[in-house]
Amino acid sequence: MHPIIAHRERLLLYLAVWLAFGALLAAVIAFGSESTFARAAVYAVPLALLLGLQSLSCWYLVKAMPPEETPIARFVSTWLGTGIVSLALWMAAALGWEWVLRTSIGTAFAGQDAARLTSLLLFAGVVGLLVAVLGHYMLAAFERSGRAERRALESLVFARESELRSLRGQLDPHFLFNSLNSVAALIGTDAQAARRMCFLMAGFFRKSLGLGGQQSIALAEEISLAETFLAIEEVRFGERLRKRFEVTDEALLLAVPPLVLQPLVENAVHHGVAHLVDGGEIIVRARHRDGRLEIAVENPCDPDRPASRGAGVGLANVRSRIETLFGNRGSVDVEAAPTTYRVSIVLPASTAAG
Amino acid sequence: MRILVVDDETLAREFLAEQLAGIAGVELIGQAANGFEAVKLAEALAPDLMLLDVQMPKLSGFEVLELLGGRAPAVVFITAFDEFALRAFEVHAVDYLLKPVEPARLAGAVERAAERLKSRVPGPSAQALAATARPPGRTLERVLIREEGRVHVLPAERIDFVEAQDDYLCFVSGGRRQRKQQTMAEIEAQLDQSRFVRIHRSFLLNVERLARIEPYAKDSWLAILTDGSKLPVSRTGYSRLKELIG
Repeated sequence: MHPIIAHRERLLLYLAVWLAFGALLAAVIAFGSESTFARAAVYAVPLALLLGLQSLSCWYLVKAMPPEETPIARFVSTWLGTGIVSLALWMAAALGWEWVLRTSIGTAFAGQDAARLTSLLLFAGVVGLLVAVLGHYMLAAFERSGRAERRALESLVFARESELRSLRGQLDPHFLFNSLNSVAALIGTDAQAARRMCFLMAGFFRKSLGLGGQQSIALAEEISLAETFLAIEEVRFGERLRKRFEVTDEALLLAVPPLVLQPLVENAVHHGVAHLVDGGEIIVRARHRDGRLEIAVENPCDPDRPASRGAGVGLANVRSRIETLFGNRGSVDVEAAPTTYRVSIVLPASTAAG
Repeated sequence: MRILVVDDETLAREFLAEQLAGIAGVELIGQAANGFEAVKLAEALAPDLMLLDVQMPKLSGFEVLELLGGRAPAVVFITAFDEFALRAFEVHAVDYLLKPVEPARLAGAVERAAERLKSRVPGPSAQALAATARPPGRTLERVLIREEGRVHVLPAERIDFVEAQDDYLCFVSGGRRQRKQQTMAEIEAQLDQSRFVRIHRSFLLNVERLARIEPYAKDSWLAILTDGSKLPVSRTGYSRLKELIG
């Protein structure tokens, strides 16, 4: 759709510009001839509006020939041809209009000197058309950059959503198969425990799927998911896995993006405690301080273990989501000491919308 | 058949023990909860078969196999999910089981192991297996060295250089020399090749320890390390070094 015709206010502004152009033309015609300004305006303003309406059609050529993608020869020849045809049509209309006014009313509207009028019209037409084409090209550039901006924004939102989707889809196969192995093992020795394990797994998967389309959830929900996850891993690791939650009641009510805590707790188990022969304690802390929500996950780790690149994925995901959602109002920090590993998240505190 | 079960999860070990009890002709002689224990028990008890979990703390299943070397019993690996390990098992025709372990599959694996024992099929090279199981783009991150029954874990970045001597290698780290039976070609292929350069037939250098290079004679140079030690550099070694550090 034409960007000027499609918007009423733009069209009015556009025509106002041409009105001014007409007035200017009238002034030039009236100057140094026997015609008055008023009479010259009666002649020139309709012509200016005609040129304006005629110039609207150049939008389609502007769209068809983006300057950076069009061969220069084609660009020049097309515009030259179009310009000459438009100009000729307009000049014919202008001279015809002059004849109509002169013969029907009989008063000089455009002065008596035909040669002067023709050269004036030629000059005005060339300038008018040139400005119109340039204006349309500028409009096209604005529109393109606006669209690019919108597209960038859309792709950012899309990326964030698909990241979250993939996070949810990323039900760690290790976790799944090992948990099933624990269930199979328990059935032979402790059927009650096997049953409890099934309920825990169902609860965990249901909760993580339920985080679906939500933008933000209460920290309490995220903590509950982490607790369920750790309860399942406790069955598998036994006494090697210990846990401690230091979460203030106030913090529980604050809003967090879904699945920011869970990947960190998973890392703490799989890249921390799982590599220790005697296991260790995972500490999850959260508190509300100075208008910010501070969350930290800490775990012991094996000093001999080479830096694991696998730990990067979940963490990088959390980091990029915090960055896109909160910019410099949020942060993710990692402290990797030889025997402990801690990830701290800071978010602006806001209460969960539900 | 005498079997050793190795898994860091108590439940998983109990589950295997329970299933093995139902298979005729099988005796569970021990359980190990980590790689070090596995190496010790495998040497002390000399089992016929080891059911070996791949992911364990400290030492992986592959590293246990490597440390046992020629004394390793027949092995069936067990893993929950590891696409690269699975590929390695297929490539090297190594038997494996997936968690949750199904009784019929376990019985099948035990039976196949018994046949292999009878026909004395040699096991796979632990290092080749571990190399195939490494995700693409990943290099050896640590070297395991056994000295007088003790296992040392030497992170790759701490190695200054490796020297070939007769039929073993000498890993030098901070002036300390540790010996390991392995070939230079093997270790060269496993370590990060953007960091370790074969500067001489007998020397593999961690370029981060290189201070400067001095000409020594026609077509030979000396690499001076940051700690002052000097290593010979051959003509091909010199061009390799040039290529890497420009």
